[in-house]
Amino acid sequence: MTPRTILLAPIDPVHDVGLKMIRRGLKEAGHNTILLPPDLPPEEIIQEIINKRADTVLLSRTLGYGVAEILARFVDLADALGVRERVKLGIGGMAIRPELAAELGFDAGFGPGTTVEEALAFVEDREYVPEQGKRDKQKRDLTASYTYAYGNSVIAELLGQITGGILAWVQNKTSPGVLRARAREELWDVRRWRGYGKMTEFLKEYPGLCGEMTRNFYLKGIMHPKTRRFTREEVAALENYVSKTKERMTVPGLQHSLKKPMVFNQYGTGCPFMDTGHIKVSEAWGADGVIHFDPSWGARTEGFMDGFLTHQEDGTVITPANLNRIKQSLEPGTLWQIRAHRGLNTPETAVLAGKFQADFTKINICYGALGAGTDPARMTVDGVAAIKYAAKYGLPFDIVTNEELCGVPAHKAFAGMLISCALGLRLGGKPVLQPLFCYSPEVMVEGWMKDNYVDFNVAKVLALRRIIDAPLWPGAPIGFLTHTEDRIQSSASTAYHASLAAMLGVDAVTIASSDEAYSGGPISAPSKVDTLRAVGEGFRFFGNMKLEPSPQALEWSWQIEEDIAKVLRQVSERGDFVGALYDGILGSREDGAYPGRNGKDTVMNV
Amino acid sequence: MSRILDRVMDGMDIETFIICVSEDEGRRLTLQMFREMGFTDADIVFIQFQGPGVRVRARAYVHRPGDNYGWLKAGPVEGDVK
Repeated sequence: MTPRTILLAPIDPVHDVGLKMIRRGLKEAGHNTILLPPDLPPEEIIQEIINKRADTVLLSRTLGYGVAEILARFVDLADALGVRERVKLGIGGMAIRPELAAELGFDAGFGPGTTVEEALAFVEDREYVPEQGKRDKQKRDLTASYTYAYGNSVIAELLGQITGGILAWVQNKTSPGVLRARAREELWDVRRWRGYGKMTEFLKEYPGLCGEMTRNFYLKGIMHPKTRRFTREEVAALENYVSKTKERMTVPGLQHSLKKPMVFNQYGTGCPFMDTGHIKVSEAWGADGVIHFDPSWGARTEGFMDGFLTHQEDGTVITPANLNRIKQSLEPGTLWQIRAHRGLNTPETAVLAGKFQADFTKINICYGALGAGTDPARMTVDGVAAIKYAAKYGLPFDIVTNEELCGVPAHKAFAGMLISCALGLRLGGKPVLQPLFCYSPEVMVEGWMKDNYVDFNVAKVLALRRIIDAPLWPGAPIGFLTHTEDRIQSSASTAYHASLAAMLGVDAVTIASSDEAYSGGPISAPSKVDTLRAVGEGFRFFGNMKLEPSPQALEWSWQIEEDIAKVLRQVSERGDFVGALYDGILGSREDGAYPGRNGKDTVMNV
Repeated sequence: MSRILDRVMDGMDIETFIICVSEDEGRRLTLQMFREMGFTDADIVFIQFQGPGVRVRARAYVHRPGDNYGWLKAGPVEGDVK
């Protein structure tokens, strides 16, 4: 390529940093550059263009006042002196909008955020193509580098005793949820289903294992009142939207120079179409993964409906068709989690997550039983079955500890999390610990975080790291109960928590949108962009900086570790995990945890 | 020709500062402003009153989950790039 002669001029009193950066890029690409000092009048700049025989001119303007007048005068003069027709004119800077540049007769206008590469492409008369790397986000196994070795032998031994007891207890037990999962596993083939093959055997058995609402759906065609099927026209329009959007997609990362944490956000507007729209927005603004959020009634309902269904309230109904469409809409590098952590469909959700090749599921027996309304005995039987399916499909599962939001102290929630983790390990699974990064009721009541939202969250991570070498994925979402309806505050708070997580070297975080605290309507797409942008900015700001834990954080971490061991000892001494859940050892009524009633008396002996 | 509003994915937020004497007045004026603009499904997401007036963000939902989304079937709008 023939080197060009480019004259760069800040048509501005002082600001020329952007032009200097572009000049460096042009020089590195082999072009000749002349950088004029700031604040020259248009006449002098044009004279220099003529004197230096420049073939390309790049002007910059940062200050907004009088911008249109100055630039118009420049172009008029360039025209009058015959310069305009033989040089290519580009203008950039904070005050420039492409529309203004085009209106004034410039060949290109570069607004805020222009890269050196974009300017170089303009100079070299080629189309600007964003970096290839941005299109190729690779999935990573966040469990890969962990040994799951225990660093606290007392806790390890207690967990061994407790999980041994749980596995012995569930051995001869089953439930409608476990039986449905088995039917889905053995009689429902995803490839045949995708090819519109009949599922006669499955449909003969499955409705009989469902609750009334779902059975009515299969046997009488009665839909849940808040749901409807999509029309053919709607489906065709969605397919068109997805394929056209995918053609334009790039998938930037938020981490800058960091390797982790990966950033997840949830979708679950109720409608898989709107979810798809939100997912594409999240991917385009840097989310590494998305999490399927199902409706709360789904956790209380025995069985899943079928078909491509939309739902008018929060939470997107789990059906094979909904999962299939959402899966198809994802970019290849986007991680996908389908939550199975609570409710009466936990094992079947893990099976569907496996069959639709999700990357993660979410299972926590204690949270499901104490914070999400499922009967402890049922949740234990179903939870163990779900963990087995997750292991079979190689699905890592995070163990969420949102019972803290009910008021359960962190050490009790963590004891429960470690029990599910130990069960996962015994059953060949890949568990991921999910401490809540939040302003939890426990610390509010104790007044521990009045002006410091860091120490207690740091203490949680330090304690867990000493106990076991396992991946950490704070959530869910980070910053819970610190968000307000103000999107600036909410986004900032999310970014602070994400940055804290990054400084602690955790593997992933789940973030909320800036609508987290707004309850007046569905979450909007711009609110997802808000927090993704804020988190990216946080990661850039702190970079590779590491956090030095304060003495208070260390002290609390030892206390948490000690208290976890005490709780596990109580559970072990109780000799009955389900009894321990009912008794409140892992979270009591006084704390704010209540053993769930959904699915009570549905556990059957085999 | 489609309406540009059909392309709005879900809600349209307006953020501004309204001169008023109380949060109640700010709230009333904001919702009235949305009605004058022709939006019926509007709500205040965030509002904060201090002496000079309210900092407010209000939202009109153009498409709620489960609706028929204009952006899925939107044709060209005036001024579209061909």
